[in-house]
Amino acid sequence: MRPLFFLTGKASMKIAFGLLAALLATGAAHAEAEFDVEAAAGQCAACHGAEGLPSDPAIPIIHGQEFFYLYTQLKDYAAERRANDIMSPMAAQFDRSQMKALAQYFSDKSWPAIQTKTQEGDAQLAQRAMSRGQCSACHGEWQGDSRIPRAAGQQPGYLEKTMKDFKNEVRLNAAAKISVMKKVEDDEIEALARYLGDL
Amino acid sequence: MIVNRVTATFVMLVLAGLFQATAQAQDETSDSSYYGDLRNVDQRMLTRAAGDGNNFLHTNGNYEQTRYYPASQINTENVGKLRPAWIFQTEVVDSMETSPIVVNGIMYVTTAFNHVYALNARTGEEIWHYKHDMGPITTYCCGPNNRGVAVHGNKVFMGTLDAQLVALDARTGKQIWSTQIADPEFGYSETMAPSVANGKVLIGTNGGEYGIRGFVKAFDTETGELLWTFNTTAENSVGVWATHDATGRDMHRDIEAEKAALQEAGDPYETLGGGVWQNPAVDLETNRVYFVVGNPSPDLDGSLRPGDNLYTDSLVAVNLDTGEYVCHFQYIPHDVWDLDSVSPPIITTVKDGNGEDVKGILHGGKTGHVYVNKASDCSMIRFSEAMVPQEDMWTLPTADGARMLPGANGGVEWSPMAIDPTERLSYAINLHQPMTYTVRSTPYPEGKLWLGGSFDVIPEEQQWGNVTAVDYDTGKISWQVRTAQPMIGGVLATAGGLLFTGEGNGLFKAYDSKNGSELWRFQAGAGVNAPPSSYTVEGKQYIVVGAGGNAQLNYKRGNNIIAFTLAD
Repeated sequence: MRPLFFLTGKASMKIAFGLLAALLATGAAHAEAEFDVEAAAGQCAACHGAEGLPSDPAIPIIHGQEFFYLYTQLKDYAAERRANDIMSPMAAQFDRSQMKALAQYFSDKSWPAIQTKTQEGDAQLAQRAMSRGQCSACHGEWQGDSRIPRAAGQQPGYLEKTMKDFKNEVRLNAAAKISVMKKVEDDEIEALARYLGDL
Repeated sequence: MIVNRVTATFVMLVLAGLFQATAQAQDETSDSSYYGDLRNVDQRMLTRAAGDGNNFLHTNGNYEQTRYYPASQINTENVGKLRPAWIFQTEVVDSMETSPIVVNGIMYVTTAFNHVYALNARTGEEIWHYKHDMGPITTYCCGPNNRGVAVHGNKVFMGTLDAQLVALDARTGKQIWSTQIADPEFGYSETMAPSVANGKVLIGTNGGEYGIRGFVKAFDTETGELLWTFNTTAENSVGVWATHDATGRDMHRDIEAEKAALQEAGDPYETLGGGVWQNPAVDLETNRVYFVVGNPSPDLDGSLRPGDNLYTDSLVAVNLDTGEYVCHFQYIPHDVWDLDSVSPPIITTVKDGNGEDVKGILHGGKTGHVYVNKASDCSMIRFSEAMVPQEDMWTLPTADGARMLPGANGGVEWSPMAIDPTERLSYAINLHQPMTYTVRSTPYPEGKLWLGGSFDVIPEEQQWGNVTAVDYDTGKISWQVRTAQPMIGGVLATAGGLLFTGEGNGLFKAYDSKNGSELWRFQAGAGVNAPPSSYTVEGKQYIVVGAGGNAQLNYKRGNNIIAFTLAD
């Protein structure tokens, strides 16, 4: 489950809050019952996609994402280390074992293919940014591993927003990324987002 | 070994076949072994490895870690005829840093993500393949690497990315025992090869980028039981408030501010980092273990860790039997550049300040110096001329980024050096990678990356590398060869007067170790960023190296283990 802050339109906000209310109600009614991961995960489908294809370019793919990364993000939303008006209260209703179950549920799914259009010169700009930030030291070939999220084939809109959020100190739960992204120009971020989305 | 009933019969048959195959291999190769039947590696073999021209039993060749191989069949006269004997392709195409270990014609290599292969060292044929059942939580920097195995008895030992130590049956690759070394959720992981001495498996930890408390641990080779732990961050980590580094340069510390921070927050030792990335040197004569300790956490932000941050960026000696502290020497107190100590130390005879031969310890630093210390008390005898450009040392990191050379990768990174004790030369591979250092203070993030800022490559500036020979009795550079790219991987010297090392562009080269003349090269097709080994089977000497590229410097990935021998 990932941020819904990109839903800026009134209709989208209504959907989001409706889902939130439904989820909260579900959680209250079945607080003592066995955790139904399918039902909980179903609430995420409206934005993240029933088949894993998000409804908006700025929403991340979570089908097939790394288990430990997803679990960590849910913990960070709940603790507001990754503060978000929608995701923080949603995550806060789950205990750690439920967060793990959700993370495992999405991690076990297949990563969906998306269509991304790169522009001429993207690869060069992306390489320049990757070299400066020594990105491969952690991200390797961008396929993800445990704590490191998969970025290859991720939604370019989400990648761009995330990198800019780090740069502009909007997203704070991976502090080391802030210093790195501050050195990267906006056009390099945009090129890198398209480049990664196309991998 | 546990097998279910359904497959037991089948496995027994397979094992029987393997035992038979192994026995045949022994029959064919036993005469080539100087020390007799080497199916099991005993302590005597490990102790005498420096003179063993058939096997390669330690990650760095021998307990002294000289990476000086005593065989000379391949030498300066004939190295031009060196050709691939075989190429083995692993299942994993990713960063490769393994040092092949060879025991009586059987080779053990590892890959990223903790696969182990046993190969016929003469033919490259696979004997068995072990794939570690990786746990769901791993936290590591810098790439999913593994640097190889240790061998003892009938076992092969490997540390894993999820911070386990596993012992495998050398004949079958089946797991005999495993033990959890530390909690990967808090930044602990293993990429180094273990070492074995006197029934103990010695292993350090990664995690200096995640606020761990570093250590070296000893485990029982037979059971995996923890025998002792030496924590590399002292409970009193303050030290002497040193204002200068080992070379006498002012580090521009604000001691008063640090003392105030200490008063307010206390000693930072619990999250102070101090990883140990590479193998210790073992001195069985004095029963000591020598290793170097990595950077303090967070890397660039000293405000949260007042004091000298002992024993980070240091050479440390402990007792092999107990893990008790013996002595230390800190190269860089209160490091805020990650110019730490990674490359494994070497024990050899060196000239002291009076020109007398003494037992010494060599270490190639990220600063670009080769440090020469006295083994008896860890004190420094000398440091070498800088092997790479140094500019504006020690400029403190700033909020906007301050340029200083070397960049945070070195100098000498984790790459092991080699020496030629007859020439009294050390050989190091270096990086020149200009960077800016930026500080940004953030609190301990509970196991996430904790750099306290960033070190950023300056894209406009040229990068390159070099191979450098240093006379360790004088500290003078004897010869130096520049390479097209920053160097990472390792070096092997041989009694044939040769030096082998590889590059990120796929070139694997042999140099004349006396003068640096290039004598041979081979294009491997992927980055050669692993330390080479050598061995002899059936009277033929081989040189072997992994070509799998490097994640940290983003050199082209591959999956090849390539063994070379002289053309007939």
